[in-house]
Amino acid sequence: MYGYRRRWRRAIYRRFEIAAWLSAVAVVIAVAAVVVQQVPPAGARVEAGTRVGTEASPLYEGAACVFDPCVRPVPSGSPTRLRIRSIEVETALQVLALDAHGKLQPPKSYEQAGWYAEGVVPGDVGAAVVAGHVDSFNGAAVFYDLHTLRSGDAVEIQRGGEWITFRVTTVERYPKDQFPTDKVYRPTPGAELRLITCGGDFDRSLLSYRDNIVVYAIMV
Amino acid sequence: MTYPNPHRMSGPIRRTVALPLAVLAALGVSFAAATPAAAEDAPVGYVRLAHLSPDTPKVDVYVSKLGDSSFKEQIFRHVGYGVMSNYLAVPVGTYGIAMRLEGQAPSVPPTLSTQATVEAGGAYTVAGVGKHAVIGLKVFVDDLTRPPADKSKVRVIQASVGAPILDVGLANGEPIATAVTFSSTTDYQVVEPGLWTLQLKPNGSSDVTTLSANLDGGSVYSLLVLDGPNGLRLQLRADARGGETAPDGGVATGAGGTFSTVNPLAMVGVGLVVVMGLLAIALRMRRMASRRS
Repeated sequence: MYGYRRRWRRAIYRRFEIAAWLSAVAVVIAVAAVVVQQVPPAGARVEAGTRVGTEASPLYEGAACVFDPCVRPVPSGSPTRLRIRSIEVETALQVLALDAHGKLQPPKSYEQAGWYAEGVVPGDVGAAVVAGHVDSFNGAAVFYDLHTLRSGDAVEIQRGGEWITFRVTTVERYPKDQFPTDKVYRPTPGAELRLITCGGDFDRSLLSYRDNIVVYAIMV
Repeated sequence: MTYPNPHRMSGPIRRTVALPLAVLAALGVSFAAATPAAAEDAPVGYVRLAHLSPDTPKVDVYVSKLGDSSFKEQIFRHVGYGVMSNYLAVPVGTYGIAMRLEGQAPSVPPTLSTQATVEAGGAYTVAGVGKHAVIGLKVFVDDLTRPPADKSKVRVIQASVGAPILDVGLANGEPIATAVTFSSTTDYQVVEPGLWTLQLKPNGSSDVTTLSANLDGGSVYSLLVLDGPNGLRLQLRADARGGETAPDGGVATGAGGTFSTVNPLAMVGVGLVVVMGLLAIALRMRRMASRRS
């Protein structure tokens, strides 16, 4: 009599066991699938060799030029390409203009960044402006990893066939409705660069990100 | 005959599941709450040096960063009257600036010394000012904020003892600064961009010194007034430049394709908890199934 109960109970336990194993496997697969989509591509950060101007030897290559009127030759022409090795970005540069309200229009392509052509030319004294999309409607875009840049990372602009190197100083995030225009586009004593993309929460009702990420960099 | 109710979880199962779930829930929560460390910023400011004392011989200038031995002390030698350097980009912090007469050893106490605190995006002119008998080191804060509506900004740095008080204006009569005294600087004056003739007239004299210069919109200038061999010597320096027309606000650079409200760390944490719980159940079930009773 009790043997029947025993076998019945064991069958129940085994079914529970199989169900638990299958559920565990399903959860692992589901979590992995979602997480892999969220996490930026592996290998996006690169060795310290590409960093420019570490704490030990900051920006004093220019010290020799501080009193001498030494001319740092900057290649002429328009900038053509942008390269940021530490986040594996290399792109041609489109020309960007202001719209009728004076706002900078974003690039038409998700794969290319653009530079504000009525502003400072990268390499000339002042803050040059480069913008790129963080994502498209269905995936990452050219500046997806921009927010992972750190101080010391090198940002290079090709102009007149030569590469000009800038060094990241800070990475900041501002709500778009409190964007500090005067700070981001302020006049500067030397050649500087501003890289701009979107970040923060995405407002589905406005189809727009709430914040802008601004990377500040100076020429070295 | 009564059958055990399959819908009621028995005691051993409950005990087996509850404890590991509780432990792993705690782990999962702490894992999910972990945030990546903030990136270390390295903001910079700009500093330049000037020798504005007409009767002081050449000096050597020493610049060091207080409390930061990784900053190599910068030494600028043979700086004479009227020399104002270009801006040097330096990490934010407090700097010690010392001036010694040209050629003096660093062990000699400096003729002049001062400190300057450099803030992010700030610009400073550190100048030896005044006649030699009363020379001092002043730190001028250079206000490089953007001129309104893409105009230009100009100010005067008066280092002429031959014309100790003077008026500065544009050729069309528009004043830039009046009664500017020796070893002082003025506030920045907003002017229309364009090609201008700047006029300087010392008080009590009818001599006018002029300088033609192009003032660009969005840029900031200092007019350096010095004693020269034939009267006043003028230098217009572009302190900072910007584009003539700056964009208004940020840029719409994202379509939301990668945005998700799910925090991947939280997902992994919760998933870990669930998987561990399920494994605990599975192993317990196996034990129960192979029990002899």
